[in-house]
Amino acid sequence: MLYDRIFAGAFLVLSGLIAWTTYHFNVPFQYEPLGPKAFPLILSGIAALCSVWLFIKPSQNTWHPTKEVWVKILSGLGIMVLYAALFEKAGFIISTTFVGTIFSWLFGEKLLKAFLYALVLSLISYFLLADLMQLNVPVGILFGE
Amino acid sequence: MDVFHYLALGFSVALTPLNLGLVLAGCFIGTLIGSLPGIGPINGVAILLPLAYSVGLPPESALILLAGVYYGAEYGGRISSILLNVPGDAGAIMTTLDGYPMAKRGEGGRALALSAVSSFFGSMGALLLMVIFAPLLSKLAIQFGPSEYVWLMIFAFTCLATMVGKRPIKTVVGVVIGLLLATVGIDSGTGILRFTMGIPNLFDGVDFLVVVIGMFAISEVLILLESWARNDLKLTPVGKSFVSFADLMAVKWVIFRSTISGFLIGVLPGTGASIASAVAYGTEKRFAEGKEEHFGQGDIRGLAAPEAANNASAAGSMVPMLTLGIPGSGTTAILLGALLMFNITPGPLLFEQQPNIAWGLIASMFIGNIALLVMNLPLIGLFVRLLSIKQSYLVPVIVMLTFVGIYSIHGDTFDLFFMIVLGVFAFILRKLGFSLAPVILGLVLGKVLEENLRRALSISGGDWFILFDGAITYVLAIATVLAIVLPKVMKLRKK
Repeated sequence: MLYDRIFAGAFLVLSGLIAWTTYHFNVPFQYEPLGPKAFPLILSGIAALCSVWLFIKPSQNTWHPTKEVWVKILSGLGIMVLYAALFEKAGFIISTTFVGTIFSWLFGEKLLKAFLYALVLSLISYFLLADLMQLNVPVGILFGE
Repeated sequence: MDVFHYLALGFSVALTPLNLGLVLAGCFIGTLIGSLPGIGPINGVAILLPLAYSVGLPPESALILLAGVYYGAEYGGRISSILLNVPGDAGAIMTTLDGYPMAKRGEGGRALALSAVSSFFGSMGALLLMVIFAPLLSKLAIQFGPSEYVWLMIFAFTCLATMVGKRPIKTVVGVVIGLLLATVGIDSGTGILRFTMGIPNLFDGVDFLVVVIGMFAISEVLILLESWARNDLKLTPVGKSFVSFADLMAVKWVIFRSTISGFLIGVLPGTGASIASAVAYGTEKRFAEGKEEHFGQGDIRGLAAPEAANNASAAGSMVPMLTLGIPGSGTTAILLGALLMFNITPGPLLFEQQPNIAWGLIASMFIGNIALLVMNLPLIGLFVRLLSIKQSYLVPVIVMLTFVGIYSIHGDTFDLFFMIVLGVFAFILRKLGFSLAPVILGLVLGKVLEENLRRALSISGGDWFILFDGAITYVLAIATVLAIVLPKVMKLRKK
């Protein structure tokens, strides 16, 4: 199965959904001829045409990920989701140390060295970002609000 | 009012201590980012954009900083191209062709110095052209009405589709995805909600920064994860770094021609550094035919041409961005998005109403270029050492900066999750051979395109023939048709 065909199919479904949603917009008043429906409708039409074209003339698959690659990508993704979940609650320093350690380790660093690097990185960056640049960086529950 | 008056005003803006510091910092950071393996100009600007926004810089200063990063990264990109044969982005591919063979011969220093000088003359020449043409173009653009703008955007998308990438259809899909993303949120005309799926965070529309960071930086991290391998890249020794007068004389006309073609290609909406450098390289190769030439084996002309051209196109692509509000490349699309975030709408009136921004930026680019040349000749050793920086140190920093940058805008974790979703989507797109620049261009121009289309039809009372009203619309329509037909004809002639 060619990836392009899968993508084209999904994109066709999406364009249908968009057209359907657009068609059912509830527009109570409108002072201009086009209104909020026309532009999305035109776009969904173009999208549908493109998906049909892509389905008929797909490119060859050039991406052949191995199992190892999948594991790496998915674990990287999982850690980023975890980072997003922890960021506010655990605070910048703890979450960055944790996530930084794993990323550094994923790219071949020894675990202890990765941990030390991530710890130093998060401490220095916290000072730089929160104090020096006055950015909104979460402290986290451990250190109090 | 004449150009010199405005230029003087621009320098008075650019030479304030804050802005001068930002130009230098931007150029330095840009060169750093450009020389780091795997991070091209577009990623550099994307990662720094939310930081510049959250720190609360005034608009002209933020723009000066980001523009500095942009052309700094164009400079820095050549280092890994020449020494490692690894181009940082598409615009640097041509540089590897003759740059890497030179480095293999032990002439890395000569190649780096020559490319720095070519870049310098390329961007300086293009800046002069910009000073001359930008005000003219903005005078012409004042006559543009909604129909003309609709055509201009269609022309930009067409150029992008027919000239960039192997599959035009995939570029069109990318543009449509970007345009659709731009329709999310409250419709300004009627106040109804469109495609928000009941999520309050989307009522204001998708946040431009979240899309840019998600699509570029997060997908880049995933790609780095995929492609990472334990074998370390071997650095070729740099050798002595010098610019000889003889080298410069040998390539002076090459630089001159490449600057002009690079600038023109940069000005064309939708086409950027990758095409400019390819065209310049091809032209010079044809010019040298029959004479003594070693293109592909370390010919200095083959190095000077793409370097002058891609820097000239970087300046050129600023012209339509500032005067028309239509970006000339993916990176300028991000810069345009940055301006819009500061509630500044680039367009023909920018030069009249906010000359401090337009001319301040131009003046800062002059300063930045001189700074880059000065920085690049003696500091080259420092930048070269960056090439050996380990990904295990680099990636945590990238991830951290993206998360902090996005979180600090609204202080809401929703943005972080949304960013990751977009990153995964962009990763899939990239793996399927779609390029991301069209998506960003569509996103940035979506609102403008829809507004102008609706305004045009309001004027005509619903008559679509308003799109063919006036000479300029015809010119743009014909240009659009040419942009579709010409590449096909040229392909046929080659056969």
